Amino acid sequence: MNWQQDEPKVIDEEMLKQAIEEQGPQGQAGDISKKEGIQYEDVLQLRLDYRNILKIFHLWHFTSLTKLQLDNNVIERIEGLENLTNLVWLDLSFNNIQVIEGLEALVKLQDLSLFNNRISVIENLDTLQNLHILSFGNNAIAQLENVLYLRKFKHLRTLNLAGNPICEEESYKTFVTAYLPDLVYLDYRLLDEQTRETANTKYKYAVEAMQQNELQEQQAMEAQKISNEELQLHKDAFVEFLNGPQLFDSMFDEDPDGEKLALLPGMEALLESYPCKMEALCVQIFDAGLTQHAQRTAEVESFFTCSHEAVADNRQKAAQIAADFESSRRQKIVEMQQITDVELLEDNISSCQEQASQLSETLMSLELQLVDQLEDIFKDFERNISDMVGGFIEYVHTFAQCRDLENQHHEQQLEIALATLEKVVKNELEEEIPDDMAMVSGKHIDCYKDTVTNAVSASHDTHLLKIDNREDELLTRINSWMSGLLKSIHDEEVKRNRKRVSEIRNYVSYVKDELEDMRMSEHH
Amino acid sequence: MEVLPEVDCEEDVTITDDEEDDDEESSLSNIRITPTVTHIAKPRPQVALSKCPSSYKENSSQEKLMAAMAENFRQQYALLYPDRKALLLCPVNECSVQKFVSTTLRSTLLPYPELYDWEGCASFVADYLSLELLDPPFELPKQLSSPTWVLQTQRGTCFDFSIVLCSLLLGAGYNAYCVSGYATKEMCLLDQSRQECPLLQPQIQDKTEEPKKPMKKYSVKPPRDLHSNFERRQEEKQQAEAEAATLKKQLDAERLQKERERPPPDPLRGLRVHCWVLLLSGNREIPENFFIDPLTGKSYSTTDENFLGIESVWNHQNYWVNKQDCTFGCNEMTFDLGDLSKWEYVLCGQSLSIISDPKTLEEPEDEEEEEMDELKVFEMPPSWVTTIDISPADMEMRYPGGMKVIEYRKAKLEKFAPYLLKDGLVTKLTTYKDLDCTKASTIKEWFKHRSDHLDERELHTDSNVTTEHFRPGRSDALKYHRYVTLVPETERQMDFYSHIRTDGLARRIEKPFEMTETFENRTDFLFYRNAVYGKQIKVIRAGEALEQRPLQRVEERFHRDHSKPASKDVAERIFVVSDRRIQVTFHLEDDRIIPAWLNFIKPKEAADSQKAQAFTPQMVSGFQVDPSTKPYTNLQLYEMLVELMREEENVELHIRDSEKEVRSILSSREKEDSNTDLLISIYNPTRNEMARLHMEEKERMAKEKKQRQKEKELDLLAPSQVRLGLPEVLTSQDALQLKTDCLNEFKQQLFNKASLIQSRIEKETEELQKKQLWYQKNYLTMSNEDEDDYLAYCSDAMFRIHVLKMRLIRHKERAPQKYLALEEKLKRHPRLASHFL
Repeated sequence: MNWQQDEPKVIDEEMLKQAIEEQGPQGQAGDISKKEGIQYEDVLQLRLDYRNILKIFHLWHFTSLTKLQLDNNVIERIEGLENLTNLVWLDLSFNNIQVIEGLEALVKLQDLSLFNNRISVIENLDTLQNLHILSFGNNAIAQLENVLYLRKFKHLRTLNLAGNPICEEESYKTFVTAYLPDLVYLDYRLLDEQTRETANTKYKYAVEAMQQNELQEQQAMEAQKISNEELQLHKDAFVEFLNGPQLFDSMFDEDPDGEKLALLPGMEALLESYPCKMEALCVQIFDAGLTQHAQRTAEVESFFTCSHEAVADNRQKAAQIAADFESSRRQKIVEMQQITDVELLEDNISSCQEQASQLSETLMSLELQLVDQLEDIFKDFERNISDMVGGFIEYVHTFAQCRDLENQHHEQQLEIALATLEKVVKNELEEEIPDDMAMVSGKHIDCYKDTVTNAVSASHDTHLLKIDNREDELLTRINSWMSGLLKSIHDEEVKRNRKRVSEIRNYVSYVKDELEDMRMSEHH
Repeated sequence: MEVLPEVDCEEDVTITDDEEDDDEESSLSNIRITPTVTHIAKPRPQVALSKCPSSYKENSSQEKLMAAMAENFRQQYALLYPDRKALLLCPVNECSVQKFVSTTLRSTLLPYPELYDWEGCASFVADYLSLELLDPPFELPKQLSSPTWVLQTQRGTCFDFSIVLCSLLLGAGYNAYCVSGYATKEMCLLDQSRQECPLLQPQIQDKTEEPKKPMKKYSVKPPRDLHSNFERRQEEKQQAEAEAATLKKQLDAERLQKERERPPPDPLRGLRVHCWVLLLSGNREIPENFFIDPLTGKSYSTTDENFLGIESVWNHQNYWVNKQDCTFGCNEMTFDLGDLSKWEYVLCGQSLSIISDPKTLEEPEDEEEEEMDELKVFEMPPSWVTTIDISPADMEMRYPGGMKVIEYRKAKLEKFAPYLLKDGLVTKLTTYKDLDCTKASTIKEWFKHRSDHLDERELHTDSNVTTEHFRPGRSDALKYHRYVTLVPETERQMDFYSHIRTDGLARRIEKPFEMTETFENRTDFLFYRNAVYGKQIKVIRAGEALEQRPLQRVEERFHRDHSKPASKDVAERIFVVSDRRIQVTFHLEDDRIIPAWLNFIKPKEAADSQKAQAFTPQMVSGFQVDPSTKPYTNLQLYEMLVELMREEENVELHIRDSEKEVRSILSSREKEDSNTDLLISIYNPTRNEMARLHMEEKERMAKEKKQRQKEKELDLLAPSQVRLGLPEVLTSQDALQLKTDCLNEFKQQLFNKASLIQSRIEKETEELQKKQLWYQKNYLTMSNEDEDDYLAYCSDAMFRIHVLKMRLIRHKERAPQKYLALEEKLKRHPRLASHFL
């Protein structure tokens, strides 16, 4: 082949067709496949080597491809491979690739060869966690640090870096061995114990430090995961952030008036006892929420196990009936094929048809029975779960106590504010006073009084709003959860029922068609 | 120079030792090789009475006192209860010396784990001894032998049995007593022919009924039952009546049967003397009192109707006489031995308070009195019997002569010691159809140590079916085999240890035209294969004609392989070879009740005149569950068919392999049965010839090494060297002198020895002559006794002189040899050798 004289090409239909036909089934199978035409989606392996390809194109149809060879071409960019998510083996050796890219979607990839390219940095491979074999030989990798990037591939066993500038370095082999301890083969050779030992002694501390860091990161991740899970649990119970002062804090966060009022003398004591009480109430709701959540989960689980059991039971019975019928039917057909008398055959066929109708009836009644049973327990479940949710909602009215607490707080605050005002007016207060109050001290007393009252009630309104919002959120979410759950159960059941009914109809019609065919053939 | 002869002596001793060992072993091997066929106990070498220790032959002062007290008790008892039979208090032992029964008990714990609990002890005693009946059966025995004697002779009366068993039980820490009383005829005569064999009694299966599942909250209600309750009840009633009728019939038949089997009434009922063992609750976590019959080793409740009365009980500390009424058997007896109204003791003492006197604990004032009493109390003398000892070889032989036969109702049980029989048989149970035991119905045999790992074999004579069980360890992993004959292609079942086999085969059932195999844990998920054969035809393969049954139909079933989608995972494939069809059924998808299937018709292969048939879509038919899924393409179907045809060939190969394996197993079984070896553990030194030789060799080496060491240490030259005042490093002059000195001295010693013997001879002769002179002078006036003495002395003296003369002769013979040996030795002596080279 004189591919060197050819023009650089882009992958096109014709090339693909030719390759598939060449590489597809041979002999009788080949004839059949040619007659039928080959679907690109079914092709599992494809070889496109020595074709002077410059640009990868037209490959998006090959969704079930597992092995793709594009070696010995003039490809400059890795592209157009996004749809080939089932790829296990990808060969891009002997090309002109400079940057690793476009491989993010190929998560099943185990064997990747980029031998003899122009790559200088190992990168963009983070998602390819299943890599076993990796070949970067004859490239332009010059930095030993590139090897560290490969530490994240836990399954990597074979690595080829031969022919890169880094191989010139004296410590190349020991470095790689030390930092990739799971590696078995490096540059066509088995890593022996001795190399490992020297590598370990040489880089012991560096590797250990690195491992330590990685371990810490992992632990942090795990801790994060655990806390996330916990939060998710709280969210599922609809009581997240109620196990502490978060609600109280949020009440005061967006409350500029409250901040100022907090500076009033006497407010300190008030502000000290208030959060404690508030928090106690919140925690009460929180605990109740968690226990109720556990109860609800148990209830849901018990419902699902029971309904699954019933379905499985019913399915087994129906399957048995169907299997019995099928085996008797096959025997019948064999018998009928022996019969030559037309009338007798006719009798037989009609009796078979009758039996088929009977089977359909039996299976349908079994299915109907199951539907009834499931409907019964679904009703029970619906009632119970709505009772539970109702109970929880009632409990949630503890928020009313929060509101009471807030009202109380408001009154006390107002009292303190007015008392302070009196003092200010009488100039009895020598202590430092909030700025804006001092500012207004000269103004008319009534005007000032209004301001203070406004500030206090504004703060109060903000607080109340926060509490109301939280309560509303909780109620809406739990209600939507319940309705969603019930709806999904119902939908599932309907879907299952449809599926079964259509299955039975399909089978029975198949059986009847067969019988009809037999009758027809007999008549002709 | 005294040491040399000593060395010689030791050598002699070791040689004799070895000889003795050899003797013992050869006798052992004799026992092993020649099994006794008859049940009669092999006459053991009678133990000479004279060898008994002195305690057997005389009474100590304490024992004499005890005997006197017993005599006193007996007289009082005879006076108080003139109607009752005499008690067994002081029978004579095997040396004809009167011994109190309690002192005959010797509590012993033997170092065999099986004797640590009462079941083991009882069955051991029952197995180990053979019974001598009491004669007459209504009299107490006149002699009560020591347990050691009984164990040596391996025979004894029921009293001897009880004494041995009670000794072992006391040693194992049980609160055990010997009981002298009356029992039924069957019990006394060890007649078990009316009892069911314990091996035949159905084992009580642990009924671990599954705990009923708690009714779950959302369990679906079962569909409504639309049957009439009334009708059902009527039906039930009818059924119950019919059942009751049949049950009644059965019961009647059983009763009749029993009536027929009942033995004739025993004229001596209630008079037959028997002795057994009583275990009281308390020690070793025994919850309730019970009896053990030492003849059978079985336990009975204290109310069992076989025991008709009790005269007395005793242990190693005391003796109690029963004062309760036994007219109606032992039903209402209490065994509170502290109760004076019910039991009369012989010795008052501490043993009482130990057994039962809770009052002492409650009333502390009594304690002092008690202590005072105890000081006066006469304690039972220690047992006169020496320690009971059973050798491991005897323990292994277990039965008298290594075998025992027990006859049960419609069954015969034969037991053999391991290694006794060549085929490894240890137990054989024959059950019969009739009471007279003439028509055998099943023969069940248990084996041990067989090299073919056969464990159990059962033969039903009616159906002629043999079943065999094997222990793990066979190369073909056979576990169970049921067959009629060992001819291939007949009905049989073979089970295998599937985890050992690479193909995971668990069971293979064969019928004349069918073979079914089941598998476990295979990686290809196959679990069932059934092959149906046609009539045998001749097949010519590789030039030779073979008789082979053609395959007609093969069915294979697979478990679900979860790595594949259900609709692509084959559940069952049937190769209808005779019809050229292949049926494939796939697994059920989730929520589906009807599987998908495909039927293929195989295209015809190329024949002489025709081309091979091409594949057409008409050759395939099938059903797809979901009409919306994409149907198979022709290519896929074709590939599937090709694959299936290849599989068909493989399957046939597998089946032929199985047939071959069956044939090889059958032929190896035949060989093994006709010629069995017994496996011998490497830890069994008495049987494992190699191990024993190795050990002996090692011992010998150790001994030799020790001796050499000793010789080395022994410096022959040292005494002379010191005496001559020679330095450590010798000149050749010195060496020569040393050598001659040494030799001279040895010569002198030899000479001295000879002269010593000579002088002794002379002395003896002189004395004898003196005595003769004296006799000649006085023989007229001598009494007969003196004359006897004289004659005895004469023969003695003559013997001594003869021995001395022999010694002298031997010494003279050996002296030159010894001298030469020493000379040789000195030549090679490290310090002299350099000078004489």
